[in-house]
Amino acid sequence: MNIGIISFAHMHANSYAKHLHRHPEAELTAIWDDDPSRGQRASDAFGARYYDDLDQFLHSDVDAVLVCSENAKHRDHVVKASQAGKHVLCEKPIATEIRDAEEMIDSCREHGVILQIAYPVRFAPSVERVRDMVQNGELGDILAINGTNHGQMPGGWFVQKEMSGGGAATDHIVHVMDLVRWMLNDEVKSVYAEMGTRFYDIDVEDCGIVSLEMESGTIVTIDPSWSRPKTFPMWGGVKMEMVGTKGTLSVDVFKQSVLYFNDRDGKVQQLPWAEDMDKRLIDDFLDCIKHNRAPFITGEDGLRTLEVVKAAYESHESKKVVQLTRR
Amino acid sequence: MPKKECEKEMSAKSRRSRTIHLKLGRMKTMLNVAVIGLGTMGNVHVEAWSRISDVNVAAVSALDREKTEAVASQYGAKPYSQLEALLEQPDIDLVDICLPTYLHKQFVTKAAEAGKHIICEKPLGLDVKEAQEMIDVCEQNGVELYAAQVVRFFPEYVNAREQVKKGKIGKPGIVRLSRGGPFPRAWENWYADEKKSGGLILDMMIHDFDWLRWTFGEVERVMARRVVRSEGTNPLEYVLVTLRTEDGTIAHVEGTWAHPSFRTSFEIAGDKGMIVHDSRDSAPLSLHLRAHEDKGADQGVAVPESPLHKDPYQRQLEHFSRCLMTGARPIVTAYDALKAVEISQAALKSASFGKPVEIGKHEVN
Repeated sequence: MNIGIISFAHMHANSYAKHLHRHPEAELTAIWDDDPSRGQRASDAFGARYYDDLDQFLHSDVDAVLVCSENAKHRDHVVKASQAGKHVLCEKPIATEIRDAEEMIDSCREHGVILQIAYPVRFAPSVERVRDMVQNGELGDILAINGTNHGQMPGGWFVQKEMSGGGAATDHIVHVMDLVRWMLNDEVKSVYAEMGTRFYDIDVEDCGIVSLEMESGTIVTIDPSWSRPKTFPMWGGVKMEMVGTKGTLSVDVFKQSVLYFNDRDGKVQQLPWAEDMDKRLIDDFLDCIKHNRAPFITGEDGLRTLEVVKAAYESHESKKVVQLTRR
Repeated sequence: MPKKECEKEMSAKSRRSRTIHLKLGRMKTMLNVAVIGLGTMGNVHVEAWSRISDVNVAAVSALDREKTEAVASQYGAKPYSQLEALLEQPDIDLVDICLPTYLHKQFVTKAAEAGKHIICEKPLGLDVKEAQEMIDVCEQNGVELYAAQVVRFFPEYVNAREQVKKGKIGKPGIVRLSRGGPFPRAWENWYADEKKSGGLILDMMIHDFDWLRWTFGEVERVMARRVVRSEGTNPLEYVLVTLRTEDGTIAHVEGTWAHPSFRTSFEIAGDKGMIVHDSRDSAPLSLHLRAHEDKGADQGVAVPESPLHKDPYQRQLEHFSRCLMTGARPIVTAYDALKAVEISQAALKSASFGKPVEIGKHEVN
């Protein structure tokens, strides 16, 4: 299988490229980037041909593309890729606007191509184990989830609203929201959010708390803040405190690391030894293509999490609870 | 340290017209305290008082006669089964009320009318109106009312606040607080009756609401979500509250009566750094005995263990008794306790209606 990558704007593109490089049945053969120097660097690093023209790139012999461009550009890139008959793995969030996400889903369906959204945290073994436990009823009914996806401020286009769609809320609500939807097989009923720009001198929010009720009555809070200090030993993490009728479960997805007291560089670091979720995400996407099966994480999954993000912004602005209605 | 804090607060709030009457008369060297209620907290207080050198536990009173007499005999106090008889004793200076919340107002009123100074366990009252009435009756009778918001005396919480005030974390952004453990079982299961206890939000989360206000200022808005399972032998309650303080800080407070063992934690993040604490990671001792008896079903209320020479309850009661003797303003006032009740009530209302609740601008008393 020949795979192409649209843009290295998102840092995960490097991880994906590395995994494609090592995959026995796939090869990274083409790269397009609207930043020529970045694109050329990636091309040199991974030995794939660089295209500065998107149409040319899409008419190459790639079977599928990974869209890792800025959030606001996802719609354009995914729609064009689908029109060229290419299967798509698209970075999260799916898009910056609901109607864009809907167009992407529709276009991929019309052109008979796979649309998978990059939610790698689903592939963390601890997360899979939690889902099994929940679905097996080991915790009983899940009454509440207190979730966090903390990080550090990424800078660059992530804090330019016209490129990213928003700040920490856009970047980090979606991972936990996707896990909650997937584990509970449930949708959000109402959203309340408090947001702020407290840590950095930027034009988008860098912190907040989202308070949700699911259709089943489960209560959920998500903290997507870029609140990890620069001296924090880890980029951030994903944690969930889950309360069920039969018990409680504390989940710290990225806990599998050693603590490194680094005298050379004068800092303390957590070095992960966990299995690589990105690798399993790529493997899964390639397997979808190979066996022409429905994607594990669909465009709809991306749309549902985006709806929650948009409602969170609306709630923050209005200081009211927003009821979610779905198409 | 407490006196300096008192002085600062006194000058800052000099507009408040609170006059402190000390009915102690001549210079007293020994205070006589009576402890009312001998449940978990009553016992903790009696034990703490016994370690405070210039306070004498003169009397104890509770419904359970046997328990009252046992405690009285252990601490050299006089047992009383009737509150009125106790309140008639002229030598009793201070009454320490360790009763369920729904009894606070009634007992505080009686003690105030008998001219006794009062320490009252938290929450001060079931609602703001009650709390205000309690403050008023004490003021009218010229007696002190101290509110036992004990988390202000836990060293890790005092320390964290100091770091914030010193600017160690810079401008605060997100404050995460957590507290709780198993569902508390006590006399007549009063915790499970929301009308008597206010449930988890009023009974326990009030600690974190008070600390939040003490450290970051007035709370502007509260959004609470709550789950309760009260039927059966295995009740639980779990609450997640989102708050905004007037200075823009956002707080997330988790309260639980659904977890197997009691623990507290905080994570205070600002633009210059972050402070984290978890009680599970800060105990110097971890003891596992090889074969242990199963405890009875009635395990009482979970009380955090503090491996300190002077535990927070002793610090608290010592502070109040010193303030009573010197006339100094305590580090937590009855008004603070009322404001904490106000936040809890806003959270209860929010959880009930599924909407955020704004807290009115605070009036200067």
